[in-house]
Amino acid sequence: MAKELTLEQIFEKLEGTIGKLEQEDIPLEESFKLYKEGMKLVKSCNDRIDKVEKEVLKLNENGELDEF
Amino acid sequence: MKQNVYTVAQINAYIKNMFTQDYMLRFVLVKGEVSNCKYHSSGHIYFTLKDAKGVIACVMFAGSRTGLSFRLEEGQMVVVGGTIDVYERDGKYQLYARQITLDGAGLLYEKFDRLKHELEEMGMFAPEYKQPIPKYIKTLGVVTAPTGAAVRDIINIATRRNPYVQIILYPAVVQGDQAVASIVNGIRALEQIGVDVMIVGRGGGSIEDLWAFNEEAVAQAVFDSPIPIISAVGHETDTTIIDFVADLRAPTPSAAAELAVYDFWQLMDRLTVYRTTLNHAIQVQVGRYANRLENLRLKVKYLSPANQIQQKRTYCMDLEGKLNRTISDALTRKKHEMALCAEKLKGLSPLEKLSQGYAYVEDTNHRVINDVNRVKEDELIQIYIKNGTIQARVSKIEEVWYGEGVDTGTDI
Repeated sequence: MAKELTLEQIFEKLEGTIGKLEQEDIPLEESFKLYKEGMKLVKSCNDRIDKVEKEVLKLNENGELDEF
Repeated sequence: MKQNVYTVAQINAYIKNMFTQDYMLRFVLVKGEVSNCKYHSSGHIYFTLKDAKGVIACVMFAGSRTGLSFRLEEGQMVVVGGTIDVYERDGKYQLYARQITLDGAGLLYEKFDRLKHELEEMGMFAPEYKQPIPKYIKTLGVVTAPTGAAVRDIINIATRRNPYVQIILYPAVVQGDQAVASIVNGIRALEQIGVDVMIVGRGGGSIEDLWAFNEEAVAQAVFDSPIPIISAVGHETDTTIIDFVADLRAPTPSAAAELAVYDFWQLMDRLTVYRTTLNHAIQVQVGRYANRLENLRLKVKYLSPANQIQQKRTYCMDLEGKLNRTISDALTRKKHEMALCAEKLKGLSPLEKLSQGYAYVEDTNHRVINDVNRVKEDELIQIYIKNGTIQARVSKIEEVWYGEGVDTGTDI
């Protein structure tokens, strides 16, 4: 399995980004950068979330998947 | 015919003899539930065996304690082996236990305890082997019976929380001879497929029904699984071996589904919150800089030459006004002073005096006569009054003292 970030890890990063963005006296360029980064993280969360409804599958004796 | 009369001791001895004579009573196995169990300090154990229809007093002497391998407790179903004999002093018969074993389910409990202890010793319950349950899963494996409440509950709750999670069911046999192999196969098969989390369990039942989940092979399969496993066997009060081995124990299959599957809508809300927070934070930042910019703008405006000139101009206008006011005030004051002087002057005017009925008197040489000594009788004098002159001759001279102040006539 490709070792990409889990949602929970993305959330952690997001919290960090928001925390930094909420700090006072960061340069404006930096805050734009953080904002862009944060929005990208939100989007990647959103993309990561599968929104295709699934049928329950059942494993049969031959190790194949049937609809349950 | 006369009936014999016996003493209590005699009759008790007689009865005791009957018991001792009875071959069967020398060793019987009696099944029942333990109650009134007391461990005496002497090492003897006193208890009562009971079932639905009756009770029998029992005692296990300290010397027979080797026949008991567990701690006797209230409510246990046991099989007690021993002699039934009479205790003459009380006129009571009781079961003198030499061996006590747990009966049926009781045996299973004993087995459960033994295995639990054994696996615990091996470290299979150790928290350091517990794998964390991933929070956001895509596939959920379920090893349970394909029919019954457990599988329905899991599917219902999982799909209600998140219809986008793929559930893969391994239809397992969960009780009977094939159960252990079936459950172990199920765990292995789902490992092969590579689900994110597995729920292994079944609905409620008797200890015998749940027994497969207390078998070492199942425990080992759960322990060996590289995929996090949530155990969900029976009801909240049921505890099985795999509950200790699993990475997480759910009290029921429904609870397992709740633990395994995240709430999709809650996640959506969370994302919305993140988006809003980010937007708000950047607005605050931009606002902060806009404020700073506005402050600087005002500062620059204040410091600019145009502003300086305007400032000086205003200052100049102020001074001009002040000057005008000062001069006009001074003028008014002087006007007042002049008016006062005019009044004063008016008071001193000789014409004014004449008009008030006073007269000015001089001699023929036009010298003022303001002293009686300046004139002589029969001398001509000229009298000036308001509207003309009168020539007169002095007929009589008399000096008069009018009192103080007459010389201060110049004062108003």
